[in-house]
Amino acid sequence: MAEKDTPYFVGFLPIPAGLKLFLLVVSLSLITGFAAGGILVGISQDDPGQAGFRFDHGRQTVTGVFESHPYPMLHITMGSEHLPTGKTIMVSGQGKTNIMRGRSDELDGKIVEISGVIVQRGDLKMLQIAGGRRGLKPTEEDGVVPVAEDLGTWRVKGEICDGKCLAGAMNPGRGIAHKACANLCLIGEIPPVFVSTKPIEGEEYFLIAGPDGKEMTQDTYNYVGQFVEAETRIERRGNLLVMRMDPAKMQVTP
Amino acid sequence: MSVKYIPVQWNPNKWKYNAVMLIGVFAYLWLFIEWTPAIMSNDGRINGQIHNARAFGSCAFLMLTVILCIGPLARLDKRFLPLLYNRRHFGVMTLFVAITHAGYIINWYFSFSASNKYEALLFANTSYGQLSGFPFEVFGIFAVLCLALLAATSHDFWMKFLTPRIWKRIHYLVYFAYISVVAHVGLGILQDQQDKIFIVVFIGGALTVAALHILAALQERRSGDPDALSSGEWVAICHASELREGYAKVARLSGEERVAVFLQDGKISAISNACAHQNGPLGEGRILDCLVTCPWHGFQYDVRSGRSPAPFTEKVPTYQVKLAGDQVLVNANANPPGTFVEPVPLPSGA
Repeated sequence: MAEKDTPYFVGFLPIPAGLKLFLLVVSLSLITGFAAGGILVGISQDDPGQAGFRFDHGRQTVTGVFESHPYPMLHITMGSEHLPTGKTIMVSGQGKTNIMRGRSDELDGKIVEISGVIVQRGDLKMLQIAGGRRGLKPTEEDGVVPVAEDLGTWRVKGEICDGKCLAGAMNPGRGIAHKACANLCLIGEIPPVFVSTKPIEGEEYFLIAGPDGKEMTQDTYNYVGQFVEAETRIERRGNLLVMRMDPAKMQVTP
Repeated sequence: MSVKYIPVQWNPNKWKYNAVMLIGVFAYLWLFIEWTPAIMSNDGRINGQIHNARAFGSCAFLMLTVILCIGPLARLDKRFLPLLYNRRHFGVMTLFVAITHAGYIINWYFSFSASNKYEALLFANTSYGQLSGFPFEVFGIFAVLCLALLAATSHDFWMKFLTPRIWKRIHYLVYFAYISVVAHVGLGILQDQQDKIFIVVFIGGALTVAALHILAALQERRSGDPDALSSGEWVAICHASELREGYAKVARLSGEERVAVFLQDGKISAISNACAHQNGPLGEGRILDCLVTCPWHGFQYDVRSGRSPAPFTEKVPTYQVKLAGDQVLVNANANPPGTFVEPVPLPSGA
């Protein structure tokens, strides 16, 4: 259409007859385009898998030997329906907090009773417990902390996550888009977990410790949420596998 | 046009414009939030907050993409000019959709810790030295701040207060906001995405914006306004026979200064090509009811004086005109805005 023949639109005047059909088509195209966009982008979200809080299991109360380092865990000596005796389970506080906030390190090696809700993704389970004695009842009784079994040095590939979001506190709870949230959990000393691309000793999920066996080092935060390759020592504590991650022996892989 | 500042100068076309855009946005959000979970195989597995954040975030991206397509589309085909008319309202809508996205993110990913959630947004990821895992949230923050500044200064009061030149420069921030959004998505969710549909929609949208701007720039270079031929202070614009009743010929005088030479009632007048409102191209406008009418927002001027009709107060510079045979000459020294210039009658037979 020649420019001089184009109907002339002025905002405060009625729409020229020659533009009405064109603008109707454009309007309907815009609405249809937005509607189609909503459907297309909505259905193209990746499936994050089944994970979340197991409120359907109800409150779980178990007794066992408590270990606070590198991150709180319980070697269960008296289990419940969904947390059997003999299992070692990672423990977290409410939200993005470690349960040791306001609690003493003297709990290490003691028999304690803990009570909370399971967060679960497949074989990965974590118990979120309440604050105070409602979540953790200490006793004066000493327990026997399982001796760590060294499984040697391994070359592993996978992703560093915060164990709680990964287990389903948030879903999806891993990846780059979730990195800042994962870091915030790790700053709050939520147990970090490595998701291996291949099972090692039959396990896919590993609690991460620092190279010295204590908490994960802050340098490791730079690798959270990314696909990494690392050389790491693995040890078994109870029936939980722990990786001693050294950021100097870790690299991002494409 | 208005002689005083009121929040919104509503007219039927603005209502229709906003209705179409709102229906589009509501359709996007409703279908994404309410409808797609039912047809996805992973119904209910994605947290509601994350699902909603994605709906609002992707909608804001699409809205900004549409906003940035309108300008070049209107340059390529004048029939798209009506979409330009009320684009500011769509921009403000985009801000609210983007803020809602940010709200879901902050109240989900950055809450539940011992730290303030707004502080956590800034310190949780500080891996600025790497591309993969870069704190892409900062790009989102920058984009929202840009959109907020644009929305806050979108009213004509600010244009008058800041002057159209400065206002326009501030509003070029929309391009930085868009680039920021592209970086926000590209370094964020796109890194995790396995399904290809979103990747195609996102890259397709960004490439469409870039391609339309390149096409519009090429067209402007091919058929842009010619340089006026200078002979001292008088410059030749065109032949009188090229003028058409009610329309203008535009020529570049120097730098960005352009003159629009109109023919009205068989007489020639010349005014600045830049509308006093938003620097819209008056020479691409038409004379309606004896007044030059800007194609962007309908601001009107008397072609002889460059003044808006009373009670409006907008003024644009005028130019002296003379004929040398069939040649239309304009004095390159513009008169002060609103200066009356006697029109020059078209020679008989032209």
